[in-house]
Amino acid sequence: MSETAIPALPPRRLSWPAFLRRKARPESLHGIKSSGFAGQVLPLVLLAPQLVILLMFFFIPAIRGLAQAFLLQDPFGQEVHFVGLENITALLRSAEYWESLRLSVNFTLATTALTFGVGLLLAFATDRVARGRTAYRAVLLLPYAIAPAIAGFVWAFLFNPIVGPAAALLHALGIAWDPNRSGDDALLLVILTASWKHLCYDYIFLVAALGSVPRSVIEAAAVDGARPLRRFFWIVLPMIAPTVFFLLVMNTVYGLFETFAIIDATTRGGPAAATNILVYKVYVDGFVNLDLGSSAAQSVLLMIFAISLTVIQFRLIERRISYDVSQ
Amino acid sequence: MSMAVSRRAILAGSAGALPLLRARPASAAPREIRFWHAMSGVNGERLEEMTRQFNAAQSDFAVTPIFKGTYDELINATVAAYRTRTQPQLVQIYERGFMTMLLSGAVVPVQELMAAQRHNINWADFIKPIAGYYTHKGELAAMPFNSSTPILFFNKAHFAKAGLEKPAETWQALEQQLRQVKAAGGPGSIMADDYHWSWFENYSAINDYQYATKNNGFGGLDTEFTYNRTPVVQQVGRMKRWMDDGLLQTAGQGVAAAAVFTSGRSATFIASTATHAAVMAAANLEWDAVPLPYEEGRTPRNSVIGGAVLWALRGHADADNAGTASFLAFVAKPETQVWWHKATGYVPATNAAYALAQSQGWYRERPTQEIAVKQLTRGEPTANSLGYRFGNFTQTMFAQREEAERAFGGQKPPQQAMDDAVSRGNEILRRFERLNAGRY
Repeated sequence: MSETAIPALPPRRLSWPAFLRRKARPESLHGIKSSGFAGQVLPLVLLAPQLVILLMFFFIPAIRGLAQAFLLQDPFGQEVHFVGLENITALLRSAEYWESLRLSVNFTLATTALTFGVGLLLAFATDRVARGRTAYRAVLLLPYAIAPAIAGFVWAFLFNPIVGPAAALLHALGIAWDPNRSGDDALLLVILTASWKHLCYDYIFLVAALGSVPRSVIEAAAVDGARPLRRFFWIVLPMIAPTVFFLLVMNTVYGLFETFAIIDATTRGGPAAATNILVYKVYVDGFVNLDLGSSAAQSVLLMIFAISLTVIQFRLIERRISYDVSQ
Repeated sequence: MSMAVSRRAILAGSAGALPLLRARPASAAPREIRFWHAMSGVNGERLEEMTRQFNAAQSDFAVTPIFKGTYDELINATVAAYRTRTQPQLVQIYERGFMTMLLSGAVVPVQELMAAQRHNINWADFIKPIAGYYTHKGELAAMPFNSSTPILFFNKAHFAKAGLEKPAETWQALEQQLRQVKAAGGPGSIMADDYHWSWFENYSAINDYQYATKNNGFGGLDTEFTYNRTPVVQQVGRMKRWMDDGLLQTAGQGVAAAAVFTSGRSATFIASTATHAAVMAAANLEWDAVPLPYEEGRTPRNSVIGGAVLWALRGHADADNAGTASFLAFVAKPETQVWWHKATGYVPATNAAYALAQSQGWYRERPTQEIAVKQLTRGEPTANSLGYRFGNFTQTMFAQREEAERAFGGQKPPQQAMDDAVSRGNEILRRFERLNAGRY
C-alpha cells in the first residue's frame, strides 16, 4: 500500500553446506549446553585419534572380556568350554559376591559423602583464610600428587596396631583399634585413605565453583535478612549444582573403580574380605586366582552396575540442574 | 658451539663402535636363554649371581634373568606371554601353581627335557618331600629351585626374661610358655603373612592329619577337602584364643611380619627358613630357632615344602632347549645347591648337596639352617605328609584364609568357618576338575 514498504532482503550471510549447517537449537542460547560444533565432520576428525586409542585399548579388550564372561577356560587357553550364563549365575548365587556388592555400595557412598562434605567445608574455609591462602591450598592439593599405592601404604603404616603412631594414639585413648582383625576398622581405614586421597579433587572444583557465585546476589540476600545457612541452600547450592553433580558422578566412579591401588596397599581386601570391594575382587579372581571366566563375568556385572548408576544419576538429578549461569 | 662439538663427538664415537659390533662372528655369540623369576631383594641378587656363574663357566649360552614381580604377577606374565607366543625358555613358578603348570600343555617335563638333551641327573637323590611334591607319573615335572619349609624362630631375650630356655615341642606346652612370656612383660608372637602354609598345611602334615581325600589330591582331580573334620578346626580356635589373649599379633599391610620379629616386638615367629637372611641381618636381636611344634601325643612327621620350581616352557628351538637343560643341570649340581643354600637359606634339594654342606662344617657354623632339612626328612612321608596337589590351589587357599579370618574376628565359630571354607574350596576344585578332566 505504502511506498515505504521495503522488500525483504535475501540473507546476507553465505549459507554453509547442509552437513555443516548448525541445526536449530530449541534449548538454551547460552550456558554450557549451547556450545558445540556446527556439523559432524570436523568433530569426527578431531575425535579420530582418541577414538582409535579407545578402540585399541578399551573397546577391543572390553569386547574380549565380554566374550570371556561366557567361557570356562584354563589360563593357558588350551581348553575352552562355552558355558553360557553359568559364570554370571554362579556369581549371583554366591553369598561372597553379594557381600562384595553391598560393601562396594557402602564404601562408595561413604567415600563420596566424606570427600564431598569435607571438600565443601574446606572450600568454604578458603574464603575465610586471610593469610597464607596459597600455602593452605597447596597443602590441600598435596595428596593428589601422591601415588595411591604410596598413600595406602603410609596410612596402613600409620594405623598399624603394632607400629603405627596413629594406632598408638587410638590405643592410648582406649579405643581397641585393630584393622588386621576387625573388618569394620579395616573398612573405616580404607574409606579414610580413599577420601583423603580424593579430597583435593573435590576441593579444587568446589573452590572454583564457589568463586563463580556472584557476590552481589549473596549480599542482596544478606541484606534481605537471609542467614548463612539459608543463603547456602537457596542461593549458592543451586548455582554450583552443575559442579556438585559432576563431582557426584566422578566420586562414584572413583569409589567404584579407582580405589584398587589403595585397597591393595592398605588391606589387600581383608581381613575376612571386609574390604574386598568389587573392583578388587575382579583383580584377585582374575590375576591372582587365574579364574578368568568368573573375573570377566564380574567385570561385566560391574560395568552394568556402573552404567545403570550413572544413568540413574543423570535421569534423576541432571534434569533438575540448570546449566544456565549468566553473570 | 659446544653442542655441535659434542654431537660430532657422538657421531664419531658411534662410527667407531660399529665395526667392533660387526667384527664379532655370529656363531660366537652365546644363545640367549631368558629366565623369568620372582626373587626380589637379596635373594634376587643371589639369583643373578648364580646366572653369572653359569654364563662365565661356558660360552654357548647366556642366561638372562628377568625379574617379573611377585609369584602371582610372574605366573600371570607367563600365561600372557604363552598366549601371545612370546614366552621365555624358563620360568620360576611357586608351588601353588604346580597343577596349573603341569596340566597347561605349555611345559616340557624336566626329566623328559634332560633325557632328550643327554644330561645325566641322579633323580633318585632328590630329597623326598621335595621330589614327591613335584613328581608326576614317576617323573619330576620341574626342577626344584628354591625350596623352603617353615620353622619356629624365637626371641631368646623374651624367653629368658620369663625364665625359659627355648620353645617347647608341643603346641600345648608352647601356649603355657607364651603366657609366661606375656606375664613377664614380653610381647605376643607374630603371625606370618602366609600363615595358612605353616598353621594349617604344615600343621596337618606334621601331625599326620588328612587334609583332603585321594592322598591330598595326589590320587586324582576328584579330591575333596576334609580339614573341617580334623584338628585344623581346633587350630583355628587356638589362633583366635591366642589373638584374644594377646599371644598372637597380626602384622597387616603397614609392616612386614619379619620386621616385627627382627625389631624384637614378638616372642616367636613361625616362618619360612628363607627368613634366615632377614633374621641374621638384624642388629641386636638375640634369636634362635627350633622345629615347628606338634600336637601332644602325636609323632611328628616331615613338614611340607613351599617355594618355587623352574619350568621349561614349550615352543622353543632345540638349540634353546639345550641351553635350558644345560642351565638346569648346573642348578642341580651339588656345588651350586650348596652355594645357593648358604647364600639364601633355602634348603638343598639333593642328599648329595646336604652331605656336602655337612662335610664343609656349615651346620656347626649355622645350626639353625639344618632345622629345615632335618624337619623335611624326618621319618618316611605318609599319605598325609607328602604334600598337597590341588588345582586352583591359590584360590582355595584364599577362600580358606577368608573363612579363617571370619573365625579370628569372631564372626563365625571355627567349625562353621572351616565347613564353609571346605565347601567353597570343593566348588573351586570341581571347576578345575571339569576343565582338566582326563588330563591328570
